[in-house]
Amino acid sequence: MSSDFYKASILPFAGIIVKICRAYTNSQEDFEDYYQEVCLQIWRSKDNFNDQSKWSTWVYRITLNVCLTLLKKRKKNGQYFASDSLPDEVTEDSHAFGDESLNELYKAIRQLSEIDRGVILLYLEEKTYQEIADVMGTNPNNIGVRIKRIKERLKKLLDGKVN
Amino acid sequence: MEKSIESIWKEGFLENDALVAPTVNNLYNQKSKSITDRLKKMFKINLYAIVVMAIVIWGIYALLGVPLAGMFIFLLLMGVFTLAVKQGRSLKELDHGLSSYEYLKAFNEWIHGIISKNVKVMRFFYPLIFLASMAPVWYVFEQGEITGKILSKYPDIPLLFGIPIVALAIVGAIMLLMLVFGGKIYRWDVYLAYGSTFKKLDGLVNDMEELRK
Repeated sequence: MSSDFYKASILPFAGIIVKICRAYTNSQEDFEDYYQEVCLQIWRSKDNFNDQSKWSTWVYRITLNVCLTLLKKRKKNGQYFASDSLPDEVTEDSHAFGDESLNELYKAIRQLSEIDRGVILLYLEEKTYQEIADVMGTNPNNIGVRIKRIKERLKKLLDGKVN
Repeated sequence: MEKSIESIWKEGFLENDALVAPTVNNLYNQKSKSITDRLKKMFKINLYAIVVMAIVIWGIYALLGVPLAGMFIFLLLMGVFTLAVKQGRSLKELDHGLSSYEYLKAFNEWIHGIISKNVKVMRFFYPLIFLASMAPVWYVFEQGEITGKILSKYPDIPLLFGIPIVALAIVGAIMLLMLVFGGKIYRWDVYLAYGSTFKKLDGLVNDMEELRK
């Protein structure tokens, strides 16, 4: 991967890639693995990109696909457990952010289903329902309903933990 | 008042250090390590499997009344085992101080080199194993029962050491084919077990070469 490609095509989206990868990992080591794999996949699949969608949509889709695939692989190998009713240490990030409320929010997001995590992250990044639907391969109405449900769930999970 | 998740998100990422992207310099270090580790583990399992197989086959052949043939197969397999152990030692000589790319490339070349060398050995190994595996059949023929039945049906059939020459010719032909195609059989055998991992390794080396351009 040339540094030109990285700078021009990946770096502008590094922020959101970092945010997404964080939601699917619990440690700095895993996070770096996921991030690097995402960059690699974006570079590998650049030739498959066609102008039917926006480059950003393509990047988000690859990011989510890579995260879900790696998560699946690790689950299979027994290296990762992610679902509801997990002990705190599982959803805790060993490399937390400085902002405590953000840490609590991430902890709650990690308790969501894998797909819901992707949906809410894109929503929080102010992507339109249409764009989220494009990434997720569904329709905007479905996304709207889903986001409403996810927000309710997050509110419950964060209840009393964040001021 | 409780903050909304949207404001937690926005305010949380206002800090500069919240979004530090990892460097992509050593992109393949982890991948290289995991694939070489996986292959080393597979080689190790293969070695154990050879020893277990050698012992089990000897045992089975002893029970079938042909312990010498069992011992012959055991010795053949132990020869393969010794060769593999020796080749495994040469892997340790690869310089670990090399970069990921150089190590992976050296590792890949080592594998292909080993396969090429083994092809020559296996050309003889397969026919010999086949010959030895026929021992229980010889043993049955030696008892005379089957030969008796065959002779009662085909009284003119020519025999050699009490075995129909046709049967010996078939075994000889198969051995000859194995001698000719032993290399191919070995490659097929290896790729059946390691093929997908070898492909990944090749892909990784290609990617790394592309990345270095």
